[in-house]
Order: sequence, then C-alpha cells, then structure tokens
Amino acid sequence: MADKLLVRMFDVGLGDFIYCAIPGAHESGRDFHMVIDCGSLSGDALIRNAVPLMKEMLPLVDGKKRLDLLIVSHQHKDHMSGFGLPLWDDISIGAIWMSAAMKPDNDHAKRAKKLHELAGAAMEQAAAFNLGSEFGDLFAAYAANNDTSVRTLTELLPKGNGIQPVYVSAGQSTSGELSLPLKDAVFEILGPEQEIDRWYLGTPKESHVSHLLALAEKGVLKSALPLPLKGGRTPTNIAAIDFRNLQSRMLATGLALSDADGAVVNNTSVVLLVTWREKRLLFVGDAEWEARFKEGAANSAWNTMWNLRRDQLKGPLDFLKVGHHGSENATPWDDGIERDPDKPFEPAVILDAILPKVSPLVAQAAVSTKRSNYKTIPRSLLLNQVATRIANAKSYGPIFKKGGIDPKTLNKFKDYEEAWFSRSQPPRTDFENITAGADYIDIPI
Amino acid sequence: MARKTRRELLSVGTRTRLYATRRTLPLSVQEETGLRFNVDVYFKDPLVAKNNPAAAIDTDFDVPWEPGISDGPTSARFAVVDYDASSGVLEEPARWDGKTVSFRGPKGEDLNSSMGRKLPQFRQISVWATVQNTLEFFEGGAGLGRRIEWGFDGNRLILVPTAGYGQNAYYDRQSKSLQFYWFNSEGGRVNTCESSDIVNHEFGHAVLDGLRPYYFETVLTETAAFHEFMGDLTALLMAFRNNGFRKEVVRDSEGDLDDASLLASLAHQFGEAVTGQPYLRTALNKKTMSDVRGKGPHETSEVLTGAMFEIMAELLELRKKRQTRRTQDDPSARPESLERLFWYTIEHMQRSAIQPLDFLPPCDVKFRDYAIAVLRAEQITNPVDPEGFRATMFEVFLGREILQEDDRKLLEPGPVFSRTPLAVFHSIDDIGASRGSAYRFLDDNREQLFIPLTADLIIADLARAKKLTTEGRQQADQIVLQYLWREEVLLSGERFGQFDGQRTSMWCGGTIVLDQNANFIHWSRKPGIQNLGSKPDQKAEAKAGAARRDELLDTVAIRVNRGMFGERQSTPLGVLARIVPPFEVAEQDGLLSFNIAPHFSLDHEDEHDLGGRQWQISS
Repeated sequence: MADKLLVRMFDVGLGDFIYCAIPGAHESGRDFHMVIDCGSLSGDALIRNAVPLMKEMLPLVDGKKRLDLLIVSHQHKDHMSGFGLPLWDDISIGAIWMSAAMKPDNDHAKRAKKLHELAGAAMEQAAAFNLGSEFGDLFAAYAANNDTSVRTLTELLPKGNGIQPVYVSAGQSTSGELSLPLKDAVFEILGPEQEIDRWYLGTPKESHVSHLLALAEKGVLKSALPLPLKGGRTPTNIAAIDFRNLQSRMLATGLALSDADGAVVNNTSVVLLVTWREKRLLFVGDAEWEARFKEGAANSAWNTMWNLRRDQLKGPLDFLKVGHHGSENATPWDDGIERDPDKPFEPAVILDAILPKVSPLVAQAAVSTKRSNYKTIPRSLLLNQVATRIANAKSYGPIFKKGGIDPKTLNKFKDYEEAWFSRSQPPRTDFENITAGADYIDIPI
Repeated sequence: MARKTRRELLSVGTRTRLYATRRTLPLSVQEETGLRFNVDVYFKDPLVAKNNPAAAIDTDFDVPWEPGISDGPTSARFAVVDYDASSGVLEEPARWDGKTVSFRGPKGEDLNSSMGRKLPQFRQISVWATVQNTLEFFEGGAGLGRRIEWGFDGNRLILVPTAGYGQNAYYDRQSKSLQFYWFNSEGGRVNTCESSDIVNHEFGHAVLDGLRPYYFETVLTETAAFHEFMGDLTALLMAFRNNGFRKEVVRDSEGDLDDASLLASLAHQFGEAVTGQPYLRTALNKKTMSDVRGKGPHETSEVLTGAMFEIMAELLELRKKRQTRRTQDDPSARPESLERLFWYTIEHMQRSAIQPLDFLPPCDVKFRDYAIAVLRAEQITNPVDPEGFRATMFEVFLGREILQEDDRKLLEPGPVFSRTPLAVFHSIDDIGASRGSAYRFLDDNREQLFIPLTADLIIADLARAKKLTTEGRQQADQIVLQYLWREEVLLSGERFGQFDGQRTSMWCGGTIVLDQNANFIHWSRKPGIQNLGSKPDQKAEAKAGAARRDELLDTVAIRVNRGMFGERQSTPLGVLARIVPPFEVAEQDGLLSFNIAPHFSLDHEDEHDLGGRQWQISS
C-alpha cells in the first residue's frame, strides 16, 4: 500500500466519513492523513464503530494519534454529526478546514445564513402539522442537533489543538495561501466561491429564493408556513375540519424555503481537488447541479465550477467521491433523459469531461450510501451510468447470490433497486457491508 | 345594471317566492325583481388596465341572488375564506346586507365606493362574484343546462383570495379550494385574485374536474392539455361577456379579431412578472398538432385554444358577410352594429364550446373527441345550417390537424337523430331515475353497447339537462350518462424501467346522451381490449381498444424514459411547484395508477426541465 494513495470510505449508513492517506506527502516524509466529514442520518452506532477504526490508521506523533487535516464539507447532519460525539479528544489535529459558508461573520454569506434561519423556523412549524413519516428526515436535518457539532469544530477542537479553523473558498490552494505540512501533492479548492450570496442565492430579480428573502427582510413575508390565526378567530362559514385541511395544503412557500436552503448548503460544500503524482482526486461533498448557469440566478455548485473554474475542473479524474450518497442531483449527468444532441446539456458535458468513456477505463469512484425511503438517494440509474465510466465498477447481483443473500430483503428493493440491480454500480458502502460485513471500502489510487 | 335603492327592492319573502320560478324568467325580469344584483369586480389585472381604461373595475357586473347568501361571501356553492398563510391573518368577511342586497365592509362600508375598493373585502366579493357568475354561465341554459357537481365530496368550493406569498394560483381538489397567492414584482404587489382571467382559468379546472373527474387519471398529454384548454377557454369566454371589454376589443380591432391582442392576453400582469414573457399563453396562434408533438400539456393546449378562438373569429366573419348580403338585397334594412354581431357570436360560442362538454367521454379525452362533440352540438341546434357554420368549424379543426380529411363525412347530410338497436328497452324516465336504474339499462344492453361481460361498471355521473338554442329555444331534455370500467394492462419490457412487470389499469367507458324519446344524441366511447364478439362492429371496437392500449403503453414508456413520473404525494408537498413531477404514480389494488400531478402552476416556462427532479431531502 505504501506506494498507493488510500481512500477509505466508512459505512456510516446514510452519511459520509472518509479517510485518506497520501504516501510520503507529509513534509516530514511520513504519510499525510486526512479526514473529510463525519456524520450520519442513520444514528450514532455506526460512527462510534468507525471512528476508532480510523484512528488505528493514524500515526503516533509525540505520543498522540495525529490527524493532519480535517475537512468539513458543509453544515448538514450527515456530514458532521460525528463531531457532536466525544470521540475526538484523544487525537491531535493539525488543521481544520470548513466551507466559507460556515464562517460566522462572513459578509458574503449573510443572506445564506438568513435563509437557513427562516427555513429552520419554517420546518419547526411544519413539524407540528404531522405530515407523515416521509418528512422525518427533512425535519431532522433542521433540528438543533447540529449545534454541538458546530461548537466542537469551531471552538473545542481548535482550542484543544492550538489552531484556528480555516474557512476555505474557491481559488485557494496549498500552492498559495493555504498552509499545510504537505509535499508532492497539491490541494485546490474549487468550491464554494467566496461570494456565497452572489453566486448561490443570486439577485431578487433573477432568483425566486432571493426574492423571498428580500420580502422576509422587509417584514412583508412574516412566515413561510400557515401561521396560527391571530386573535384565535376561525372562519365561521366552513367547518373546522375543512379549515385544518385547507391550512395543511398551504405549505408551498415554507417547503420551498427549506428546499432552497438545503440546496444552498449543499452547493456551498467544500469541493477539494487533490493532485498527487499526476493523479486527480475530487471530493465534492454534496455539490448539486442544475440545467444551466446564469449570472444573478441561484446557481448550483457544479455549474458554477464549470463556468468559473473550468480549467481546474475539466480534466479526467482518477477518483470521484460520488456526491450526496448517489443522489440524482449531485453527480452531473443527463438525468436519465434522452437529450437532443444538438443542444448540449451542461451537466452531461461536465460528466464527459471528468469521467470520459475511454478505453481502458482508469478512473475509480465509490459512494457512501444507504437506501432509505427515497428513490433519489441513491438513484440507481445514475449509479449504473457512472459505472460505465469507471474501472472499479461492481456487479452486485452475483455477489449477493454467492453470499446467499436475497436482495429482495433490502429496503425498497422492488421499487428503487431491482430494475437496475443486474447492472454494474460503483462500490457502495451499504452493499459492501451487507455482502462482506465490511466496515469500509478501500480505494487504492 | 343600475343599482336599486332599498325602496325599489321587493321584500325578501316576495323575492324568495320568485326565486323558485327564476328559470322561467328572462334575465331582464330577474334584474328587475332583484333576482340578480350588482357587484363591482376586478376585471383585467391592473397592468393591462393601465393602458386600457375599459379593462379596470367592472361596474356593470351582476350575479344571481340566492336566499342563502351570507357573510363571507358564502353561497350555495362557494365559501370565501380570506386567510393569508404567510401572515396568519384571517380577514374579516364581507358582510351581507339582505335588506339592500349588497355586501358591506366589516364596519358597514360600501364596497362599491372608491374607499371600499381598498378594503380586503372588495377582493373577497370580487372573487366570489366572478365565479358565482361563471358558474351560472356553465349551468345556464346556454351552457350545460343543469347543475354541476364538484370533483370532491362536498358542494362548497372554498375560495382563498390571498392565500399567501407565491407566484401561483391553483385549484386543489384535496382541500376543496381555489387558492390565489400574491407576490411582489417591480410594479408592486400582484394579487393573482385581482385578475378575472386567472380566477376564471383556475375555476375552469374546478368545473372540468367536476364534470369529468377521471381526466386526472391519465398519462396522455392531450387529456392534461384539455384541462389547460378548459381553463383558458373559460377565461376567454368570460372576458368576452364583459360589455366594456367587448366594446374596447371591437373598437381596437375594427372587427378583425386577429389584431385584437388585448383579448388574448390572458393574465398579462402575471405572465409579465413571473415569466418575463409578454403573455402567459395566447389564443392568437396558428399551431397545429404537428407543431406540438412531444411538447408538454400547456403548449399542446394552445392548439385547441387557438382553434376555438379562430372559430370565433370565423363565425363573426360569417355574420358580417350575412349582414352585407342582407343590406345588399334590401338597402332599406337597418344593419346591426358590429358590437351586436360580436355579441351574437359570443353567445353562439358559449353554446358551441360549453354544451359539447356533456358529450365528452368519461376518460382519456382527446382534442378530436371535443371537435366531434362541437360539430355534433352545432348539428343538433342548427341542423339546416344555412350559413355553413359547421363547415367553417370543421375546416378550422382540419387545419389544426385535430380532425383529418376522412372526418369530412361528419358534414354529410343525414338524420340528425338515430336510435341504436338495443336488446332491452328502458324508458328514459327509468334510465334517468337513479344511477342504479341507469346501470340496469347498461347491463341489459352490454352487447349492443360494447361493454364486456367482465366489466364491473361504475356510473360516474347521471344528469338531466335542459339546454337552450342560441335563440333561446328549449332543446329536447338530455339525459347524460357516464359509465366506466377498468381493464388491466401489463407493463412488460425494459422500456418501462422500474415498472417492468407491473400492471396498470386502462380506464374504458363511454358517455351516452339521450333525448326524451330515447334517441342517441351522442355516444362517445373509450373502448377496452376485451373480446366482444366476432361481428364486424365488435371487432372494430376491440381494435380501437387495442390502439388505445398501445398508445397508453407507448406513452408510459416515453414518460418513464424522460423521468416524468413521481411518487404520489398525498401530503402538502403535492402543491410545491419546484418538486412536483408532471405526472405521478400510485399503487392501488395491486395496479399502478398514473395521474396528472394535482397541481396547476401558472408558471410553466420550463416544463420540460421538470423531468426526473423529484422531492429531495436536503440532508
């Protein structure tokens, strides 16, 4: 392994916990050790199991396990809940990088923060409507349980390690202002852009969400969700049950806010390009894509990178961390739709640029995921398509068969997996755990 | 209509007794006796009104009175609930003053005054009066000639004039409501409820859902497009019934409707602010079915809207020519004004466009079904057709590729009414007595009516209609009977993606319209694939059913390929524009059911971009 860069993706359910070791890349001559994200929507148990396994990989430096760099891509529970657990005191950390969107006093992200506050308030209200179990994850994402993690990352760990967190943005690199004890490798930040509000929220004229925010700031929009009736009055010309039913169907604005906020947080994920021995590795957090880029609109991360940082992004990759647990809107693709060849579809063009269909295939990819109740996470058809572009694709059908495991026992298998199960996919943390009991996937580069 | 003073009004008791006989009273008498009363309403949205003085507030608007009208406004079929979800404010309802037959503000303000118009209660009565009047347009003798039901359980449609912030307005069957949102544009706050075009468009969806509730359960673009057409048609026809607006149009266009851009500018302000386009959609188009192949429901609907608008222009032209002939033949004859000719045309259009709705099949309607129904309705009320109205209508449908050259046989002379040979005779009174007796009529005549033995029939609707001719003469009573059944269809093959191997159902059925003498006025059918027998007509029926099945399968496959199906959201997410797929799928009784997503957004600029983007947890 000494000659190979190692990417290890731990199975933490629906979440990301990625460890990376770069041979001889520490300026002292030893390997360079890095962790990207640690969080899950599937409870704490898997994280409590995985973190000690990660620590085993770390070198002892001055009597303490040493992690050279910790990166938190964005402020969502499935990427940071692990930092709310008491698992980090016994290691020393050399540097902490977080998204510029998480910087407390970032003048360029004021409106993004306001949006997050509004969406959080709206979701708190919406939870009271008992909309059904399918909204549980949505509300959980806004629950106050991220606070402890944020405090650990911004106060406790920096203080304990005598460092200051660095809030990174596109254009920065270890060849420039980002300081790391690193040699023979370059870390470049492709996203988010420093001007968060400008690129990811847009202007009120071009962007619906920006327009909503402006209204909220002016006090015109008092709430995004049905507010309790003022003065306790109720309509006298319809039955109470009809009014309650009506209210429950008037949630469009609030849910649009939370949807927009989720997108902005995802789109301000740290996107890290690691270049080592001419190999290119891309860690994308939960960066999303849209059909096109437009100045003034609320743009998505992939489109922004493609239009502002194309020279850095466009080359073929040797490794791609499949974004957002295989969600259909996190890896740029043709969206499973037949496209008019005369009208290039930007996301499909991006995919061709970073994972070209070449012979032989050289790129590798992996996805940390768990099938919950959603068709879109992971989107099986997307995984099939990514698999046609990578060298380490796996066909899980025979593997399940060999292990005597009936795939029909998988959650939502019939609905969201079966039709695509016979085709190849990138290695999946959930399937590796089911078929081989693996706690992680190793990808040597 | 001049407003009456309290002294001029009949007592409530006398008016109530007259109300019981109102159908026999001409409009002028209804107005005279207070069975109709004046309400000022918003007509055109303020942006259009800026440049068109006739298009602001309509002060010449009257609505039918009912004994049960009360605060809200609330009437037999509507209840206004002015609740703004984004502020939590429930506005005071407009107060009904039975003595003066008018709505007042909470402190007794006159809502027809300039001060009163600034109150939220003016918006309440404006929306209510607009739909109260439009409902009468549909239910009156020149329309369907019968009471219509809503597409939900219940009889009162809830109207929410300012539902909250949003660039939207929609009919929502699940909450039994029409919700109108408001938003800010560069020109200021836009209340979607202030445009009678938007109100009537959305109400058109509610009316059609009541008439044909199974139109939601389809994958066919044309059926979804028909819903949009119905919204636009309602808005268009109601706009033309506005006297001031009609005068304005005639003056602007000098009788040539192709130049009258105002009338076709449905929801101008909304379209401008939301989409940046001058018009949301326009009736002034020359689109054919070929032009919209593969397009979405909104764009497809423009073909039919354009066709009906073109028919209106052609009918006016025919009337103008007839007048020219008359004045040439008899120079002393006093010519009718252009405005008058236009009014006759509008009345003709109301009958021509609305009455055929009763002839439509109960499921999977196509533009062709509607075109045939329009021609049939014209034939019934105008069998001699000296002016060639039917031929004109046919040519328009042909030019739009809604009908084909082979359909020209529809114009061939023949008996206006026919009787289908039946095995068991049922009197019209028996058939119309109840759904149960209508079922027995169908069941006794399955073979003759091409209903397979295995079909467990649903009687979707049974109604008796008293329609009028354009001249106001009574047509024969019509019994309208809608029946349906389901047939299973297997989705087999890779092209069905995740649905491969599953089964769906194809709705089949028909609408039979009978007159008092049991003549078949119209019979539209959507056949199934079951074997009906070996006779040529039975084979032809099954063949048509097989063609329907093939179209269903091909359409599902295309939609799967484009990622246009989403999970059914029985929760409020069903009304969240960004994440609603154009069509949804649900499983019921082991069968997949494909439906039009229950949401009607006025902003559909990127309808093709919706494919595949569904609800996404933002984790």
